[in-house]
Amino acid sequence: MTPKGVTLNTNSHKIKFARRFIRTLLKMRKNAPSSSSIEEIRKRSQRIKIAAYSSMAHAVGSRRAWSRAILFKLRNRARHHGMMRRRSMKKRVIKNDPPGDQSQTNKLRQLVPGGKAMDMCSLLEETAHYIRSLSTQVKVMQTIADHFSK
Amino acid sequence: MDPPLVSESSFSAANPAAYSLDELWPFGGSEPGTGSLGLRMGNLGPNPNGFAESSGNRDGSAEESTVTEQSGGGGGGRKKRKEVSSEDESSKMVSTSSANDLLSESNGKRMKVAGSCVDNDGSKAEVEASSAADNKPAEGSTQPSEPPKQDYIHVRARRGQATDSHSLAERARREKISERMKILQDLVPGCNKVIGKALVLDEIINYIQSLQRQVEFLSMKLEAVNSRMGMNPVMDGFPPKDLGSHQFDASGMIFGSQSMGEYAQSSQPEWLHMQVGGSFERAT
Repeated sequence: MTPKGVTLNTNSHKIKFARRFIRTLLKMRKNAPSSSSIEEIRKRSQRIKIAAYSSMAHAVGSRRAWSRAILFKLRNRARHHGMMRRRSMKKRVIKNDPPGDQSQTNKLRQLVPGGKAMDMCSLLEETAHYIRSLSTQVKVMQTIADHFSK
Repeated sequence: MDPPLVSESSFSAANPAAYSLDELWPFGGSEPGTGSLGLRMGNLGPNPNGFAESSGNRDGSAEESTVTEQSGGGGGGRKKRKEVSSEDESSKMVSTSSANDLLSESNGKRMKVAGSCVDNDGSKAEVEASSAADNKPAEGSTQPSEPPKQDYIHVRARRGQATDSHSLAERARREKISERMKILQDLVPGCNKVIGKALVLDEIINYIQSLQRQVEFLSMKLEAVNSRMGMNPVMDGFPPKDLGSHQFDASGMIFGSQSMGEYAQSSQPEWLHMQVGGSFERAT
């Protein structure tokens, strides 16, 4: 489905992501407060999700705009952890798109991290890379889940 | 002084075809840069208003004067008259054969277009000339192309397309976008059959959303597994520390060697399975 160079590239990302993600999971397991209220479970799964995204972003590195955006967001979140939830940030939306598919482009901008500040060309490029990494992430997580639940 | 004026005006109004011939002829012999410019201006030639504005009756060289002499030969050669005070034809000839700066600053929009094309690329200039030569299409082929510069994107305008630099840049951008769209179409399963940019974008958005939902679902699943194994870590026979290094190697092996081929073959069924498990509405 994907060309040869791409799979090779994603393979190294895959290994890096898997290592990092499993390390985080083990850390969570070690100091997990073993309570089973719904709120706790939701919080923990949320944390695992964030860990998955951040592991992928770390694995990709800061070369890509979307991973940079994720890393930046995580860093900001860590800094403002105990503070107020979220201030309304100024959005930099570049408006040189054709008016036909404006809504879809905006939707795509919201989906791809860091996509609000991109023009159309780089948005599409980042989307391609993001999709690749996201599918890798899903596969790895699936494999880990299967492996653990055996 | 009346008869020369009459013949002059009758010439310039009556036979515009003689212009093209006479403008083609001398600049073929001159040096190549100004020659091509002269040809382009010759293409623009039949628009008389654009050249009436060019006020520069520059120092007419001997060559141009002989040219006008020859062009006016049908109406009787009035060389003196043209060199001194005529505004329509000799000024035109001088402006066409003069350098770039005169071209770019003397006249209006079309001159500016020509100047920018000279700045950008030789092929662009050639294309511009061929597209601008609506009245004399035969001259576009005789255009000698200037040596192209390296660091520009090669854009080719077809006949009838806009050729100013903004349109060219826009066209290049659109080509880039469509190329990336194609890459994305290859990436997203079931997206190759979809035609139309909006639908393709829809597919891409759906795919990303489903992937993100899968991540969410999988993190919930992993949370369940993880907390279960965290509560009673002796269940699998490993203390958690040991488990860590062990699984580490195992997972590295799994993801490194074996899973690649497996995923390449069975990515689609797994994907389907995931959709069923997570109750996603995407139905490819």
